[in-house]
Amino acid sequence: MARSLEEALTSGKFLVAASLDPPKGTDLRHLGKLIKELKGGVDVLGISDNPCAVMYMSPWAVCRLALEQGVEPIMHLTCRDRNRLALQSDLLAAASIGIKNILCVSGDHVKFGDHPDARPSHDIESVHLLEAARALAAGKDMVGNPLAGSPAFCLGATANPEADPLEPQLIKVDKKIKAGASFLVTHPVFNIENLKRFMEHVRQSNIKVLAGVRLLLPEEVPKYRDGTYPGLFVPEDVLEEIDGAGTGTCVEIAGRLLKEIKSANLCDGIHITAPGHEEMILDLF
Amino acid sequence: MIVAKRKPFEEIKELVSGSKKLLILGCGTCVAVCLAGGEKEVAILASQLKMALTLENQDVEVDELTIERQCDREFIEEANTRVNVDDYDIILSTACGAGVQLVSDVFDHKVVLPALNTTFIGVAEGPGIWTERCRSCGDCVLAETGGICPVTMCAKGLLNGPCGGARYGKCEIDPEKDCAWTLIYNRLKKLGRLDRMEQILPPKRYSVQQYPAKTIHEAYRRRYE
Repeated sequence: MARSLEEALTSGKFLVAASLDPPKGTDLRHLGKLIKELKGGVDVLGISDNPCAVMYMSPWAVCRLALEQGVEPIMHLTCRDRNRLALQSDLLAAASIGIKNILCVSGDHVKFGDHPDARPSHDIESVHLLEAARALAAGKDMVGNPLAGSPAFCLGATANPEADPLEPQLIKVDKKIKAGASFLVTHPVFNIENLKRFMEHVRQSNIKVLAGVRLLLPEEVPKYRDGTYPGLFVPEDVLEEIDGAGTGTCVEIAGRLLKEIKSANLCDGIHITAPGHEEMILDLF
Repeated sequence: MIVAKRKPFEEIKELVSGSKKLLILGCGTCVAVCLAGGEKEVAILASQLKMALTLENQDVEVDELTIERQCDREFIEEANTRVNVDDYDIILSTACGAGVQLVSDVFDHKVVLPALNTTFIGVAEGPGIWTERCRSCGDCVLAETGGICPVTMCAKGLLNGPCGGARYGKCEIDPEKDCAWTLIYNRLKKLGRLDRMEQILPPKRYSVQQYPAKTIHEAYRRRYE
């Protein structure tokens, strides 16, 4: 069985995390293969929840697969698609099958996805979800009813060190920490100075931070420029480097950033994303 | 104020097609201010309908009357002293949806049809432009957000924003749209009240919203309960 995320976060080791998207369908074979390939190379695997508002299988099923394969999962849980009742229900169900690590997110806007006419919920948001999960772990639902059996969670949230202005983000991060987050996974980082500025603020708390690194690809440059991916702010000089480059160069660029973040000794680990090209994640090392 | 927009003309024409004697009932309050359903707009609509229906060989008499507002029974009932509502086969109301419904209630033996689509509660930013400002959520948080409504102005309605998608003060869904929480941050900073943003605003209490909602003033409770 893999070491728990909670233990890993306190071990002092520089952690490697990656995220996978569930399948759009019931076929888990490709995910099973990816999980097997990444096992041993990553400390923990995040499983996204309808990322960019595109409909996929719910992440709890893929988290269960990861657990069966001896890999520690982080289940992403978005507030966009469920109200406070369903979110608590899903938290309890996830806990009942051994999922402990939850990344609480408000969710990308529904307009980005393949169901733009869907009515988003946002009944509650990431801060409230953290509070709700913390309440469940303390044996009560979010309105104070006692539970018959309570979960144990390691709760996480997201933040964007590349945000401009940064100050409102920092106020929000403080609220997430106050609400119960014990680790942060950042949106992809490109500028070490921005990460440093972010870390100067969050270091005041005990929160563990996994800095985001994303494998960028040349055919996606127009999408990086036009804001297709919410929260992904790629600087122009990086776009120019990626534009027209080969895949190998793009892997090198991401790998270089990864090493820079690690050697700067700024944070507690890395969170790698490579949507559609997850088989390249380990090539970044 | 309530902001509304006139329905497409073809849709209105279709609604009243077949009428022999039509009353266009205007409203002199919100919809007059947003140039959708006041006296002038009623006059324009009347001319357009007369012309268009005549071209289709429909013989229709179109009368116009604009009253103070259509959300108060006294003004609607008073209308019946200025025209004889029973003479008309269709009353085409250019009020907001609330007004259309009250006219339908008062004259519940008449066909009352809407000429407008009611869109939002908002303000005039300048001549000819109105923006939404309030969603009538019944649980106002403007005291905590420097007078900027996150329910209305934030695309996700976050009470503890911003999200990670805001960039250069713009919303992730539209680079032309301001991020409400960046506006709130700037306003609270200007007012020296950033401590309000540092507090976690609790989840919205949707139970305060009843559909349909009702308010009875304290002084009138005994009359209605």
